[in-house]
Amino acid sequence: MMMDFSHETVVWAAKTFGLIYLVIFSMAVVAYAFWPSRQKEFHDASAAILKQEDRPWR
Amino acid sequence: MISNLTTGERRGALLILLVMTLVGLFFAAAGRGDPIAVHGALIMVAAIALAFPIMARLYDPEPPAERFDTYYDDPSKVGIILTFVWAAFAMFVGDWVAWLLVEPTWTTSGAWSSFGRIRPVHTTGVIFGFGGNGLIATSFYVMQRTSRVRLPDQLSPWFVLIGYNLFCVLAVTGYMLGITQSKEYAEPEWYADLWLVIVWVVYFILYMRTLARREEPHIYVANWYYMAFILVVAMLHIVNNLAVPVSFLSAKSFSLFSGVQDALTEWWYGHNAVAFFLTAGFLGMMYYYLPIRAGRPIFSYRMSIISFWGITFMYMWVGSHHLHHTALPQWVQTLGMTFSLVLIVPSWASAANALLTLNGAWHKVRDDATLRFMMIAAVFYGLTTFEGSFMAIRSVNALSHYTDWTVGHVHAGALGWVAMITFGALYASIPWLWKRERMYSPALVEVHFWLALSGTAIYVFALWNAGIIQGLMWRTYTENGNLAYTFLDSVVAMRPYYIARAIGGLLFLLGALAGCLNLYLTIRYAAPATDTASLKPLRDELNDAATLPAE
Amino acid sequence: MFKLHYRLERRAIGMTLGIIAAASIGGFVEIAPLFTIHQTVEAAPDMRVYTPLELAGRNIYIREGCYACHSQMIRTLRDEVERYGHYSLAVESKYDHPMLWGSKRTGPDIARLGGKYSDEWHVRHLLNPRDVVPVSIMPAYGWLMENDLRTDDLSDQLTAQRVVGVPYTPDMIRNAADDAYGQANPDSSRAKGVKTRYGEETNIRSFAGAPGRLTEMDALVAYLQILGHLTDAASRDTVAKDLE
Repeated sequence: MMMDFSHETVVWAAKTFGLIYLVIFSMAVVAYAFWPSRQKEFHDASAAILKQEDRPWR
Repeated sequence: MISNLTTGERRGALLILLVMTLVGLFFAAAGRGDPIAVHGALIMVAAIALAFPIMARLYDPEPPAERFDTYYDDPSKVGIILTFVWAAFAMFVGDWVAWLLVEPTWTTSGAWSSFGRIRPVHTTGVIFGFGGNGLIATSFYVMQRTSRVRLPDQLSPWFVLIGYNLFCVLAVTGYMLGITQSKEYAEPEWYADLWLVIVWVVYFILYMRTLARREEPHIYVANWYYMAFILVVAMLHIVNNLAVPVSFLSAKSFSLFSGVQDALTEWWYGHNAVAFFLTAGFLGMMYYYLPIRAGRPIFSYRMSIISFWGITFMYMWVGSHHLHHTALPQWVQTLGMTFSLVLIVPSWASAANALLTLNGAWHKVRDDATLRFMMIAAVFYGLTTFEGSFMAIRSVNALSHYTDWTVGHVHAGALGWVAMITFGALYASIPWLWKRERMYSPALVEVHFWLALSGTAIYVFALWNAGIIQGLMWRTYTENGNLAYTFLDSVVAMRPYYIARAIGGLLFLLGALAGCLNLYLTIRYAAPATDTASLKPLRDELNDAATLPAE
Repeated sequence: MFKLHYRLERRAIGMTLGIIAAASIGGFVEIAPLFTIHQTVEAAPDMRVYTPLELAGRNIYIREGCYACHSQMIRTLRDEVERYGHYSLAVESKYDHPMLWGSKRTGPDIARLGGKYSDEWHVRHLLNPRDVVPVSIMPAYGWLMENDLRTDDLSDQLTAQRVVGVPYTPDMIRNAADDAYGQANPDSSRAKGVKTRYGEETNIRSFAGAPGRLTEMDALVAYLQILGHLTDAASRDTVAKDLE
């Protein structure tokens, strides 16, 4: 599998790549959640489950 | 129930059962001399038993087209009944093993009933039997409502539900027969694991098909959690259970990994089973049932999204905190500890989100034991995640690891969070599903609530004390620099706490039995709902919800 | 309509991919380096594999759920080293498929149990722990003495172990059942090959004290007596770790 790499290389890749990945991922998530135009979608979604109709849309 | 299936679905079910019968027969006959034969026979008998009622109704007329006007809830109903059955069974076994630690002779002389074999019966029974059935039953319910679409077919939900329960039965009977791979919370052997993979793939496809047909533009956040539960559990299950069977007719297999690799893989799995089975799935439950029962939309939808990704991302790093001070490389231990600490942010965000949703509905919490179950669950979720992060700190872990503190921590989560949110969600769903005005006896729900809460409190406090005393006794030195206590001293010191723990567990079990009784009475005797509006007790809140200020 | 449907479906798949992306990275970062860890694990050229009898004993240990109450992992803490012996090294469990480090000590750690007690003590203790340790809360395992050990699948077991990386030789695999019997019956003709195949240090004796038979008790006691003795790496290890 990845037996050809030395342990140090793999550890280094894990430590750097993982960190960058974490930061980028977090920023993407925050951007998605706070994007202004999505506010209505989120608001509607949270209110939608409280609607009364207990039957599927057809 | 069977006549609600189309003729094609009935034929499909029979075909699946026929294949299962043949597979079971093969293992039963060819595997003679190995425990796998018993499981072959079990699969065969189960498949034949299920085939009879279907054959009896094979030529019933097609179900009416009006079925498309309603959600398909039969699997959810059966799933809820199974959830209660597993709760009663697995919590009974749990209390039994708790008493065995007080008095080891309170069992039969048969191998099947020794502590080491029935302890995993308890853990598998509550986690997979009780928790898993609760998740499957509610996920069918939630995904239909939030997507406003009927399940795409009527056969695959049954395949998922019944197939999953077959897996659970293979697991717990296996332990009693001596079939186990010893990996904690992944004990079932290779053939049961393969079966679960098939079931799980069908489950995932079913969820995706339902979401793909949805009417609502946005996928409601509860589904995200259910999806993460399904997907990540699949990942974890497959990787951790990679093994080589001794032969295809032997129940025994050997893990592909050994030693330190196996340990980390196991606890990567073990901790993420907590994260994605016992947390993500039940958060999905909470994000649907708590707002509805409280009649208020979730406090902050954005916070629920951020905590979702935080949990999904960060939980995966923390498994190594189970291996502090072991032969695992130090940097992996440190990484696990760091992420465990950061994890408190999304965890507390979720708990706070739930509690803040209740703002303005506290009078309901006071009057409605069902909502109170969910509220207490959120509180215990917050407490347990805090405690978990605390215990992941290396120096704290040095004291707590290997002691009953860990067991206490797990039960704060399992009893306080998982079981409470499940009971809350089930008590909410049962009247809706069976079209009843309410549960047969609200008083009995109240009794269940107080038994569950007091049982949890006694259990957790007993084992906190037990664990800390144990840990301190192991590391106490005399003035001369010798160890002050033998190991046996610590065993003797545990006795009063083990008694208290078993009593706490008994109270919790009694609560669950009260729930079973109430379920039976509700199905059998409760007054039917007069109009559909009363099915969800929140009509008056609707206007609030519509005009809610933006977070 | 078709296009809309496609878009909706794509979003559900997008979320699926997002979950997989988010969830896989942690495991990748944490676990991937462990597959190169053999480069850093201590070398132990003297390390031997479990004999078929010990492996069968290990399977019984697993079957009875012993790992639920006994750990086999001594941590790098001063009190643990003084109580149980040298802390566990990674290499010591390199042939353990699966590992049995455990997570709970309702009973003591047994990573270095081998040789601490006599076979006779173990047999009495397993038959009824309270006969030798009055305050013990361990279960009694009476059936171990009654059950004859199953040996017909031992060759298959060694073969499977070889597939996952344990260096059993074809000779060992072929003679697995005989070696299991011979190790617990020193006077039998089948005892001779055991030391040739597994080394001079191998314990060959009637573990359960019932010569002429081969019981599950023989296997379990043989396993318990080898714990911590597959390699001398720990006793040779002079690099003192900072104990906390």
